Amino acid sequence: MLEKQPDAFTLEIVKDSLVSISEEMFHTLGKTSMSPIIYEVLDYATGITDPQGYLLTQGNGVAGFIGMVSSMVQETVKKYGCSLLPGDIVIINDPYNGGGSHLSDVGLVAPIFFDGELVGFSASKAHWTEVGGKDSGSFTNDSTDIYQEGLQFPCIKLFNEGVINQALLEMIQANVRFPDLSVSDMWAQVASLRIGEKRFQEVCVKYGKQTVQETSKYILNQGEKVSKKVVQSLPNGEYFAEDFIDTDGIGHGPFKVRVKVTISDDRFVCDFRGSHPQVPGPVNCSYTTLVSDVRTVFLAITNEDHHINDGVFRPLEIITDPGSIFSCERPAPMSIYWESGSMGGDLVWKALASVLPEKLGAGHFLSVCSVTLSGKHPDTLEPFLIVEPSVGGWGASNNEDGTRGQFCIGDGETYNMPVEIAEARYGILVDEYSLHTDGAGAGEFIGGAGVVRSYQALTDGQSLSVSFGRHDHVPWGLSGGHNGSGNHFFIEKQNGETDGPYGVYARYPLNKGDKVKLITGTGGGYGSPHDRDIGLVIEDVKNGYITIRQAEDIYGVLLDDHLNLKGLARQS
Amino acid sequence: MRVATDVGGTFTDLVYMTDEGQIGFEKSSTTPPNFEQGVLDVLEKSQIAYGDIETFIHGTTVIINALTERKGVKTGLITTKGFRDVLEIGRGNRPDLFNVRYQKPKPIIPRSLRREVSARLNYKGEVLQRLKKNELEAIIKDFREAQVEAVAVVFLHSYKNPDHEKEAADLIKQLWPEISVTASHEIVQEWREYERTNTTAMNSFIKPIAASYVDKLDKSLSQRGVKGQKYIMQSNGGTAPFSLAKDAPINMVESGPVAGVFGAAMLGSILSEENIIAFDVGGTTAKCSLIEQGNVKVSTDYYIEKTEKWAGYPLKVPVVDIVEIGNGGGSIAWLETSGSIRVGPHSAGAVPGPVAYGSGGTEPTITDANLVTGRLSPNNFEHPVDMVKVQDVIREKIAEPFGVTVEEAALGIIRVANSNMLNALKLISVRKGYDPRDFTMVAFGGGGPLHSSFLAGELGIRKVIIPAASAVFSAWGMLMTDLRQDTIQTYIQRFDTADPGRLNKEWSILEKQAMDRYKEDGLNEQKVVFARYADIRYIGQEHAVKVPVPGGIWETDTLNLINESFHDLHEKTYTFRLQDTGIEFVGLHLTAFGRVNRPPLKQLDSSNKKAAEAGCTRDVFFEERGWLETKVYKRSELNPDMRMDGPAIIEDRMSSVLVYPNQHLKVDLYGNLIIFIGGGLGA
Repeated sequence: MLEKQPDAFTLEIVKDSLVSISEEMFHTLGKTSMSPIIYEVLDYATGITDPQGYLLTQGNGVAGFIGMVSSMVQETVKKYGCSLLPGDIVIINDPYNGGGSHLSDVGLVAPIFFDGELVGFSASKAHWTEVGGKDSGSFTNDSTDIYQEGLQFPCIKLFNEGVINQALLEMIQANVRFPDLSVSDMWAQVASLRIGEKRFQEVCVKYGKQTVQETSKYILNQGEKVSKKVVQSLPNGEYFAEDFIDTDGIGHGPFKVRVKVTISDDRFVCDFRGSHPQVPGPVNCSYTTLVSDVRTVFLAITNEDHHINDGVFRPLEIITDPGSIFSCERPAPMSIYWESGSMGGDLVWKALASVLPEKLGAGHFLSVCSVTLSGKHPDTLEPFLIVEPSVGGWGASNNEDGTRGQFCIGDGETYNMPVEIAEARYGILVDEYSLHTDGAGAGEFIGGAGVVRSYQALTDGQSLSVSFGRHDHVPWGLSGGHNGSGNHFFIEKQNGETDGPYGVYARYPLNKGDKVKLITGTGGGYGSPHDRDIGLVIEDVKNGYITIRQAEDIYGVLLDDHLNLKGLARQS
Repeated sequence: MRVATDVGGTFTDLVYMTDEGQIGFEKSSTTPPNFEQGVLDVLEKSQIAYGDIETFIHGTTVIINALTERKGVKTGLITTKGFRDVLEIGRGNRPDLFNVRYQKPKPIIPRSLRREVSARLNYKGEVLQRLKKNELEAIIKDFREAQVEAVAVVFLHSYKNPDHEKEAADLIKQLWPEISVTASHEIVQEWREYERTNTTAMNSFIKPIAASYVDKLDKSLSQRGVKGQKYIMQSNGGTAPFSLAKDAPINMVESGPVAGVFGAAMLGSILSEENIIAFDVGGTTAKCSLIEQGNVKVSTDYYIEKTEKWAGYPLKVPVVDIVEIGNGGGSIAWLETSGSIRVGPHSAGAVPGPVAYGSGGTEPTITDANLVTGRLSPNNFEHPVDMVKVQDVIREKIAEPFGVTVEEAALGIIRVANSNMLNALKLISVRKGYDPRDFTMVAFGGGGPLHSSFLAGELGIRKVIIPAASAVFSAWGMLMTDLRQDTIQTYIQRFDTADPGRLNKEWSILEKQAMDRYKEDGLNEQKVVFARYADIRYIGQEHAVKVPVPGGIWETDTLNLINESFHDLHEKTYTFRLQDTGIEFVGLHLTAFGRVNRPPLKQLDSSNKKAAEAGCTRDVFFEERGWLETKVYKRSELNPDMRMDGPAIIEDRMSSVLVYPNQHLKVDLYGNLIIFIGGGLGA
């Protein structure tokens, strides 16, 4: 049947409908999940792709998944081709082949059929609290190969024509520590995919299949057009940056990494060749992860409207050496993959920050700063498991101070756990949740402070794993602004001893009364501290962001105890 | 006589109802910054005898304005040691995912005025550290020196045990009797320290402003001889006495908008329509809310200034669930860098307004598009409309970039706006598991009647009601309200170990609190009606489902019944149930209504059986069909029982009702317009 060619407004309206499908899928998953990592951290994504696996619209909670929906759909297309049937759902987390990040992030992919024809895919990827492996919570700091990190789902059928693969389900239940959590997250993902499928079909009924297909093409072409236009406006040239990844968690490091960004009229090429080869500990990442992290920075530069689809990324090219820390090969471990992935994005950011000051500020605390704490609840005696990222300090920019206490670039619409809920749910008392005002990141505009979050164990035998990257190699300042400070943690034991500071540590034992102080870094500053407005310096002292001493030593502003100006010692 | 006044952005509306059920209304200009003057003006204009006013109900934007313009007082915070930065850290989220220069909301209280004292409870409400009064005294001294004007007190776990907060607040009042104090448990009895701290801080911030406003209004009314009871409309869809509005002004943030939703529910109950979708299109936004079996939904998941890209500020106070989008008559149609057309959320506002206003507007708006397509008439505007200019703007900004005619471009703007509104309507219905076909739409506000018939058709809604008082519908809604208190108490309890006896005790405490407050205001005990809800979830889940639960004494059977309703509701909302998974209470939500006497609405005289006569016809540009000759009726000339077929327009100076081809309209006995969608005039 021939349909009328859709007019421009119809294309827009259908496009809006597709965007709202991803959003509805996203909300459905979040609302029905039982894992805090999903409903508070929003560590998941949902999306709709065309039949080839090109992303049309995506619902995001975190930035880090941008690029991972299409990779798993494309893997599904590659493996199953035309043999997919209505009601099938594929499960995939193999990081080397389409899975992307780490085993904890489990992808589900469902083909969508209309009138017997494959018209698209609905897909979601979510961090399951448990996928088995050697440590509670699955992701770990000191694995030496992928087999220690949990169950691998190599793009296999979880549902056949609407019927669940019972054997697979029982295998999952038998191999994870909190099967109720993992299985409920799986159902939340299934519910989300079913909603996506249903709504997509409704759009096909309402506007016609052909119009929906036209819209898909329109979305991708329009995305490309917008990106190209912005890339054209950027200053052509080659830009370089280098940095270090502190450690691999098992005693090696630091590892040098580098990028060359080449901007031409219609290409934006990021070449990471020459970066460190893959390492024995779990800080490696897959090429897909690197792509996601570079895409995030690319979007920060090019995309203000935030219509995100695979067309947008057509001008972007990412090159790296196979077998490098940015593109590791089986069986390299990659449980805390963000330490390298985020660094990949940060390199591009750092290379371009001084030429695009209106888009990019100074460096931030960068690491997801994950904390895993397991133990027994003092009242229910049931096991508990905290899996959470931390907020930290962001860099200053050419006209604003950096933000204090905010999740890193790889996160996003991520929420910290309220202290009152954490204390009810877990066997800990929170002694402090405050800004860590250490005076780092000085500048005309100052870097935002990180935070101190202290947990006191209320039972014996708790186990703490912390992955704080940017411990030794701190956030970078810009245009004369000072560097920020590193992420670290201390232990204050019941007997008065302290231990630390540490960046990455696996399974630190805590007993009743022991405290861990988790401290995240301050972001880099922008411009010379001597150019900071004197009134602002006085306010900073009044608010306790800096000390009187720092005002004098670093900012050249001399104040008495009542914060009256005594004099200036500034270089003009 | 009952009188309601609603202070809006442009107009202050008044609606009254006599003891015989006769309704009348009046409008007057809003008079910032002395808003009470507008209220007195409209009262004067209405010629109501002040002495006849038995009940005076007031809706105001003073509270929300003071908040959004940050025109509160200098406020200090006193909180648990180790947690003064909770207000600044917030939840740490960055909704604008791909913007690395995102700036999060600034705390309403600067760090130098956020102070800590030693006082600590655990999550069970047990005291770990007593309140150190000497620390508190030192802070009060500093606050005095800093000329602080209001103090907020927030301690961890006060939802479980408010003793420390009470002790601190009492001491502060003792040391400094003239200072305004808010302790968090007085406002919020739920966990989540950031949300509770922000709510308490914002209440403190505006409390002196609200008190002075309410006092001035009270005094002016009393001077004019108004002796009746005086109430303020709250965000939960009910009213509260002036005294309560002074203590907890934060409960009045959505004072005006929710009244329309409540009015829709009341109108539904008068017309025996239990399931209602309320739809309100104003100058800058469209709002919608779903009412199931007469129940207006209230929750505490409310934010101010939140957008897709900005975290906003949470207020954990009971607010009617409204979905609001930036699409109203003044919303601007514009092109993104990509060339995509968008409508809103930017608005031309009242000044300069749409191009049609002739006050300097240069961007095409929804109102302009409705004019070009013949849906609005240039004759109904305050000033003469330069139609050539309106068409030129749409041609240049929209038609030419897309290579279409001016009317196609105008219709394109309307279609995109309708698509936005449709998404909002789906959000409250389809996406929550409701079938819109089971609902009737009540459409009001300037633009509601214009867009509703199309949207209802898209959703499969069969009937749209345009209220007789649609132009002053918020004030009409206020007139119909009862007193209402909502208390939500965080209460974590698994079902398998729940003891009905303890739950009965919890409920009776909540009911007694509410009853005592009503008694203080002199309300007769028999007028108080309770409704209970429980927030329940699967153990481990975060988001709870609000389940209506029985009143009275609970037995074990009651819990089984509630268990079953929860599973059903969860499945309805989220498509699945986990029958074998344990469930738990998270919160107990008590609504206490103070019922008021209202005479029944008077029906209009329906003896005039004249058929409706169109004043004229004009061409209207419709989706799919293009230009159609359309009959135009004057709303003031319609009488009860009149019927007409679409395409038709019914208009007055305030708004315009659009009836599509194949739709039919009839006037009911109260003067409401009922549009039947998709054929059939109904009974």
